[in-house]
Amino acid sequence: MELNINGKSHNITVEDNMPLLWVLRDELNMTGTKYGCGVSSCGACTVLIDGVATRTCTLPVVAAVGKEIKTIEGIAAEGNLSAVQKAWIEHQVPQCGYCQSGQIVAAESLLDATPEPTDEDIDKAMTNICRCGTYQRVRAAIHTAAKYRKESATLLG
Amino acid sequence: MTIKKERTRGQKWTRRAFIGTGGLLATGLVIGVAGNMYMNKAVKKYSGTGMGEGESLNAWLRIAPDGTVTVAVPRAEMGQGVNTSLPQLIAEELEVDMSRIKVIHPQPDAPYANTFLLSNSEPNFYDGYDMMEKVAGTLALVTTGGSTSIRDGYTNMRYAGATAREMLISAAADKWAVEPTSCRAENGFVINEKNERLSYGELALAAKEVDLTELPELKKPSEYKVIGKPVQRLDIPEKVNGTAEFSIDTRPEGLLYAAMRHPETIGGKITSINNKDAISKMPGVKKVVLTEFGAAVIADNTWRASNAAKSLDVEEEDGGNGDLSTAMISAKMLETLDEAPLATPENEGDVESILTDEKSTVIEGTYEVPYLAHAAMEPLNCTVKIAEDNSSIETWVGSQGASLVKTWISDVTNIDADKILVHTPYLGGGFGRRGEPDFIKIAAAVSMEMKGVPIQTIFSREEDMRNDMYRPAAMSRFKAVVEENGDINAWDNMMALQSVTNNAITRWMGSMMAPSPAKDIMTIEGAAHLPYNIKNKRVAFGNVELPIKVGFWRSVGSSQNAYFTESFMDECAHAAGQDPYLFRKSKLKGHPRFEAVLDKLAEISNWTSPAEPNRFKGIALHKSFGSIVGQVAEIEKVGEKEFKIDKFFCVIDCGRIVNPDTIEAQMEGGIVFGLSAAMFGEITWTDGSVDQYNFPQYDMVRLSHSPKVSTHIMDVDEYPGGVGEPGTPPAAPALTNALFAATGQRIRSLPIAKQGYKFV
Repeated sequence: MELNINGKSHNITVEDNMPLLWVLRDELNMTGTKYGCGVSSCGACTVLIDGVATRTCTLPVVAAVGKEIKTIEGIAAEGNLSAVQKAWIEHQVPQCGYCQSGQIVAAESLLDATPEPTDEDIDKAMTNICRCGTYQRVRAAIHTAAKYRKESATLLG
Repeated sequence: MTIKKERTRGQKWTRRAFIGTGGLLATGLVIGVAGNMYMNKAVKKYSGTGMGEGESLNAWLRIAPDGTVTVAVPRAEMGQGVNTSLPQLIAEELEVDMSRIKVIHPQPDAPYANTFLLSNSEPNFYDGYDMMEKVAGTLALVTTGGSTSIRDGYTNMRYAGATAREMLISAAADKWAVEPTSCRAENGFVINEKNERLSYGELALAAKEVDLTELPELKKPSEYKVIGKPVQRLDIPEKVNGTAEFSIDTRPEGLLYAAMRHPETIGGKITSINNKDAISKMPGVKKVVLTEFGAAVIADNTWRASNAAKSLDVEEEDGGNGDLSTAMISAKMLETLDEAPLATPENEGDVESILTDEKSTVIEGTYEVPYLAHAAMEPLNCTVKIAEDNSSIETWVGSQGASLVKTWISDVTNIDADKILVHTPYLGGGFGRRGEPDFIKIAAAVSMEMKGVPIQTIFSREEDMRNDMYRPAAMSRFKAVVEENGDINAWDNMMALQSVTNNAITRWMGSMMAPSPAKDIMTIEGAAHLPYNIKNKRVAFGNVELPIKVGFWRSVGSSQNAYFTESFMDECAHAAGQDPYLFRKSKLKGHPRFEAVLDKLAEISNWTSPAEPNRFKGIALHKSFGSIVGQVAEIEKVGEKEFKIDKFFCVIDCGRIVNPDTIEAQMEGGIVFGLSAAMFGEITWTDGSVDQYNFPQYDMVRLSHSPKVSTHIMDVDEYPGGVGEPGTPPAAPALTNALFAATGQRIRSLPIAKQGYKFV
């Protein structure tokens, strides 16, 4: 089957029901997307599918065929960090870092849908587990990223 | 804590005499060689394996022609920030910008031993060892844990930087034919009086040959430019773009994946596989294996391996623990509380006669906490490749016990430890779990079944959660007599739990090396020797013998003992009718660092201001791992037994500050870790098996439940304390004390959610 990942086409031959996560990690060696629970509870495996944050550890790969898949490796367009990534560095969010690909992708999706989220919006949208407890910085970084996005939109506009 | 060994200036030492010692280390002959002098010399000469291009000036740093400084960080990076904080110590003295530093994790060779972990005193390889450090040094444990990385490295790493700097200056002075004292080092260059400059990259080759005759003087804290600054973490850029490699991301050529199937019951053993042929034919399956640790399926993809492992039909012996249950464990702990203690590590005055005096009003409370899983986000995994002719082993594993990895793999494979290479990628959380041997030994056993190819053995989340080495369940029974004026006349604390150190060290190094449960200082950590002035006190414990494997869990004994002691302190304050802050403060005379933390905490939390409607506060103070931390929880009542944990105020005195932003991050994260346990964490047992499988049954604090944390770091010129763990212990009692303030109900058993409380 053919998958469109980060703007590139990949041909793979696997079982239809193999979760997209394991196609990414073990078939394509794109290891930025992480395995955490296998039951769509922790969010470490989050990628964007047609722009929407989606947990891929239970998503059969066949369900992603014909859609635009964007992983953490594709968030920085041509090497330029996204507003979210910049804010993540500015707030020094990650500790162990394992869940952060999923957190960042979830934040991108939140900001696409809600460009200026309130704390309540963030609480509701960001349900990924971070065992290191970086939540306070995740929250702060999302507000900062919202500001950066708005500024660059103004510049472009 | 004071700095134990002050430097004698002008102390003589030369380098030439040490040539030849590196080889000894490489062949593993360090054990048994007269410790002090040997280690002292060896670390100066030794240049780590695999440090890349350039010239090694000592075991910790190498300088490339372009001026890049490769720093060997011999501690695992698991989020606590060592990849930045340890290089900061070197950069300060070496006079290089942090941007020139590249970090590697060296092979876990002897010079990198974490001697602080065992000796609990400041090691300085440049000044010789005391007796305990010598023992710790010859054991050569290259380990990460116990909040020791900075405490172990604070002096060594600065000397590593300072001696290298002096060698570079000396090499430059030689070239210019001037006195070294007329030159200075600045930002990667040596500069002379005429303002001529030579870069470190140009000087490194010559510097390597320099024999220093004097031990350089270290900077005074007032001169620090890098230490004490919120330097941005060097590992963060690759942690935001998906390129950071954790051990689960190891992808050597030809990699296969193995999924593990543990026995169902504790102490059980899988004796045979009934459907081996059928499983062998499943898609992608390469081999079905049965090891002494359990069954495993090797396949070409993790998911295929995992599916196959789940489909295994196995025979299992239950190991005689098939009836073990949580109710049984609680009953056993209660029994132990009533028995004569195994040990009484603190016994001052005459507690017994005060408690039994008819005129005394005795207050009493029995507390209980459950088993807890570590549940690091990266499920346990280890990649091992064993050469077909047994000539070498290469392994990639996020371990907190890098040097022990060699021992453990050697034990399983019977291949010499010196043929084993250990790569240490990032750890997706450690919290003590990644210091354990099980997942490494299992991976070695699996790889023995298929040599010549690298195999990544992974625990599924379910295997990870149900085969943990848990924080033990524990009980603490307090009795106290509080005088009308608020003095605590008697304080009695009897505890019952399994011994973590005995249990864990037996797994690590065998029972011969393990302290007996009676000598386990982790049991009483944070329960005995409290800072409060109490005239008569007794702290005792009994050992609960159970087959459950218990291990080091972030903050270890303090993880339960802070909750126990600081809750009961609150009970004492309530009994005395006093404010919990002032009550504690009145007992801290002679402990100025504790009192200062408490006062600062009251200040930043507006403790004494009248509370807003429906808002309540709880306070807790605790010392662990060399640092004093005080926390106030501020909660809002939003319904009957329904609360929002709005804010946490945190004050830490960890002595000298290396990276303040890292300290804040560790406080924020440590609080969340403590709250997860307090609010939701519980591992229970039925018929000898763990009841929880995955996050839906073992949930933790997520973003919506996490409080806003404000941290204040005290400015104290003392030897550094740890920061990875001390943020965790006070979180639970700060919260439960706030809940008491709100409801008048004392929470004596965790998790709180089980008591009918809800959190929004």
